[in-house]
Amino acid sequence: MIRTNWAAMLGIAGDDRLGLGERLRRYPWSLVALLLSIAILGLIILYSAVGGRENIDLFWGQGLRLVVGLLLLFAITLFVGEKLFRRYTYLFYGISLLLLLAVAMGGTVGMGARRWLVLGSFRFQPSELMKVGVILALARYFHDRGVTTQLGWKELWMPAILIMAPVGLIAKQPDLGTALLVAAVGGVVIFVAGLSWRGVVAGLVVLGASGPLVWSNLHDYQRRRVATLFSPEQDPLGSGYHIIQSKIAVGSGGVFGKGFLEGSQSHLDFLPERHTDFIFSVLAEEWGFLGTMLLILLYGLTILRGWIIASAAHDRFGILTASGLTALFGIQVVVNVGMVIGIFPVVGIPLPLVSYGGSSMMTVLLAMALLIHVDIHSKQHGRAV
Amino acid sequence: MLENDHDLFRGESRRRLLVLGGLTGLSVAALAGRLFHLQVLKGGTYHDLAENNRISLEPIAAPRGRILDRTGGVLVDNTPEYRLSVIPELSGGLGRLLRRLAPYVDLSEEEILSVIKKSRSQRRFLPLKVKSRLTWEELSRVQVRIHSFPGTEIQTYNLRSYPNGTLASHVLGYLGEVSSSDKNAFPTINFRSGDLVGKAGMERQFEPLLRGGEGVREMEVNALGRQVRELNRTDPRPGMDLRLTIDPELQREAEAALGDRVGAVVAMDPKTGAVLAMASQPSFDPNMFIQGISRKEWNALLTDKRRPLTNKAIQGQYPPGSTFKMVVALAALDDGKLNPSEGIYCNGSLNRQNHRFYCWQHRGHGRMDLKQAISQSCDVYFYKMAERIGIDSIERHAHLLGLGKLTGLGLREEAAGLIPSRAWKRRRFNAGWFPGETLITAIGQGYVLATPLQLANMIATIANGGTLRRPTLVWNDKGGQTEIVEHGQINRHHLSLIREGLEEVVHGARGTGRKARSEFGRVAGKTGTSQVVRGKRAADGKALNASNPLYQDHALFVAFAPVDDPAIAISVIVENGGHGGSTAAPVAKRVIDLYLSRLSGGVKVAGTTNPDPGNTTKRQAPPQEEQEE
Repeated sequence: MIRTNWAAMLGIAGDDRLGLGERLRRYPWSLVALLLSIAILGLIILYSAVGGRENIDLFWGQGLRLVVGLLLLFAITLFVGEKLFRRYTYLFYGISLLLLLAVAMGGTVGMGARRWLVLGSFRFQPSELMKVGVILALARYFHDRGVTTQLGWKELWMPAILIMAPVGLIAKQPDLGTALLVAAVGGVVIFVAGLSWRGVVAGLVVLGASGPLVWSNLHDYQRRRVATLFSPEQDPLGSGYHIIQSKIAVGSGGVFGKGFLEGSQSHLDFLPERHTDFIFSVLAEEWGFLGTMLLILLYGLTILRGWIIASAAHDRFGILTASGLTALFGIQVVVNVGMVIGIFPVVGIPLPLVSYGGSSMMTVLLAMALLIHVDIHSKQHGRAV
Repeated sequence: MLENDHDLFRGESRRRLLVLGGLTGLSVAALAGRLFHLQVLKGGTYHDLAENNRISLEPIAAPRGRILDRTGGVLVDNTPEYRLSVIPELSGGLGRLLRRLAPYVDLSEEEILSVIKKSRSQRRFLPLKVKSRLTWEELSRVQVRIHSFPGTEIQTYNLRSYPNGTLASHVLGYLGEVSSSDKNAFPTINFRSGDLVGKAGMERQFEPLLRGGEGVREMEVNALGRQVRELNRTDPRPGMDLRLTIDPELQREAEAALGDRVGAVVAMDPKTGAVLAMASQPSFDPNMFIQGISRKEWNALLTDKRRPLTNKAIQGQYPPGSTFKMVVALAALDDGKLNPSEGIYCNGSLNRQNHRFYCWQHRGHGRMDLKQAISQSCDVYFYKMAERIGIDSIERHAHLLGLGKLTGLGLREEAAGLIPSRAWKRRRFNAGWFPGETLITAIGQGYVLATPLQLANMIATIANGGTLRRPTLVWNDKGGQTEIVEHGQINRHHLSLIREGLEEVVHGARGTGRKARSEFGRVAGKTGTSQVVRGKRAADGKALNASNPLYQDHALFVAFAPVDDPAIAISVIVENGGHGGSTAAPVAKRVIDLYLSRLSGGVKVAGTTNPDPGNTTKRQAPPQEEQEE
């Protein structure tokens, strides 16, 4: 009782909001268990990736962010009313867009690209917020537009702007990977929202046709990364380096791996970005095929759970939000792992819950909180799957 | 209506989510498949790649063994070379540091710029060579201030050095950068490109021993090539010192005696087979190859007609001329076809097969016994001997004295010489042996070829009573004594008859080798003059080609001393030197003098040089022996 009053005092309680007890009863503990398993596995890998005790600070920092993120996740899922999100989606989107603009005009240059915004001692990437912002804005838009299963141009121009504005800004940073990710996630939302199959085909054709245009606007290093994907051995010490070394790390892990903290590739600096984008290869080297299959299985089940939540959501906003969030999570997993094992170009996409990095961790947990939130509320109408 | 629409949407979206679920399944399957390929199927391959990534093997050079003379003196040494290097990333501004270093080590602005240029193509944590071969002053100037030059280090390398310069350079050899043929020659050595390897002489012959075993540092490195730590270390096995049988004083004397004439001297201990001196002139300075020889210098060495790089003592093959007569005499005695006191008449020439075979003494020597024939080097006498015994016997006895085959000294440059035979001629020319060729062979002309080392070994075998040893340059615990190749095949009495003749060559009134007489003991020897060009002779006996110095005859002399207890055997050749008695014998005398004076403690031996019969009997004018052939 006290808790509900407290929530009501914050003005976040809606008329249809569920009690805490009901929420806990409906809570998707299996999904939480999956996420926790991935995060803990991730922390263990990170411990090795940062070089054990040598950079233990990084490890504790990541652990702290995980705890804070989880607290945030529980707070959102247990206390925030359903209507709150719908009310502030455009605001959230707008703030994210403004922050992106701010970065474009005067962000901090890190790793050769403008991605960061520094607020006091707090640094974060607005593009991370935008990943969620786009999903919420699109879901809200389609929800408001009413129900149709054959979306035409009349319904699509606004979503196109909602997607392309942030995508353009992110691509300009330049962060092509995140830009494409945001675009793809937006595409998935539109697809689920009911883009006509003709539209799907047309969209794929346009995507294919724009390839050369995109190529001609790519930075040299981006072109090299794509070219490198097909023949990394051509420039083993240059652009092909990441892929070659990463493949060696993954392959040398074999079936059973070299053992925790025993990966030579990981511990001898052969692997670049090994605690961030390439952390999967540390797992692969030290835990072998068994380890990679375990993590892939956990991710697969999580994504599957996401699609199920989406299909069970009680309204359009819930369905589309859950779809977008699941797509966001899933695409990141597939692209990151694909990059590490050499079937995708090297793009700066982190591995959800495992890669070191505060913004990424927070975004993923926020996304998962929203997903859980959708799930809890779907059961309100007895449509639980 | 709305509820229906909503259900319609739900149905459609569920279908689409199913599509997405299917795509998810495909993607995950693709990742799993790829991981299966990389980790399970190709795991071994990548495991090897990772191992190679991890460890870099760094060779640690072993100090090369020194080469010593028989007294233990150093002939070939290693001297440290100091190089100045800078690690760019520690230098705090490479250009500035170099300009600060410049006054101390004499760096020009050009050199500074070239070092800076070089630094761009090299990783910044690796030492960058700034200057090699620092002088002692430069070294000490930098060393005392080393702490004010960040990233600067002095590196020490061992440089091969030949402190005596050209002394015995052909024996010692020289080093050069390893070539593919060197790699084939020493399959057990793991050469690195740029390694120095023995190219000639003992440096080559004992390459594996001198080189020792290279050590290895197994360094763990990161992807940038920066060394993380040392995993393992195998210390190098230093090369072994090599002690030679070379007597440095004797070597020096032999080279000095030849002077700037082209030729060779080999001195041996007839009792052991140890080579005491092996000189070949002109020589070269092996240090040149270490300090970096310019193309011009190298070409000059290669194209010099006097062949300074050739070790004439073992590579030079010369017609032995009259020095070969002792082989013929021995063969005739052994075959029982010669009574040493038998008088054989020489009227200056011999007619055979419509050809006139001349004696060098066109007037003729008159009646000669063996001793006289040897001492006066009568050609007709030996023509007749050769007719009696034939080429087969000459060949056999030549082999017993070590001619016509490698002596086994061990230097790869060594030539085998040539003793012709019927079989050889059949092989070589597909022709039969002519009796006239036997006659020419008997005076060491025609096809016969021998190296100075073979001639020294031949005279050593005669001196020591018929024991042919394998000559050696390597000292062992028996003072360089080597195994016996032939022994007991030659009648000792016959050998002593030959030795008497050889003694008469030097000490006889009409001997051709009188200029080899020593004050320190009696010498036995044999002169030789070998024709370079087989020119026809005018009626007065003078060679038609006498005007061209390169067509001048080679002068030879072989000898041993003291006669009673031979301690040194020597052969001398002076290319285009003219007559053996006048040119080669004095060279031998200088070496023998030095050796015998040391043996006798400087005490002169009576009855060796005076009275000189040549002086009392003025009628027998010296020009006679000077013309022997």
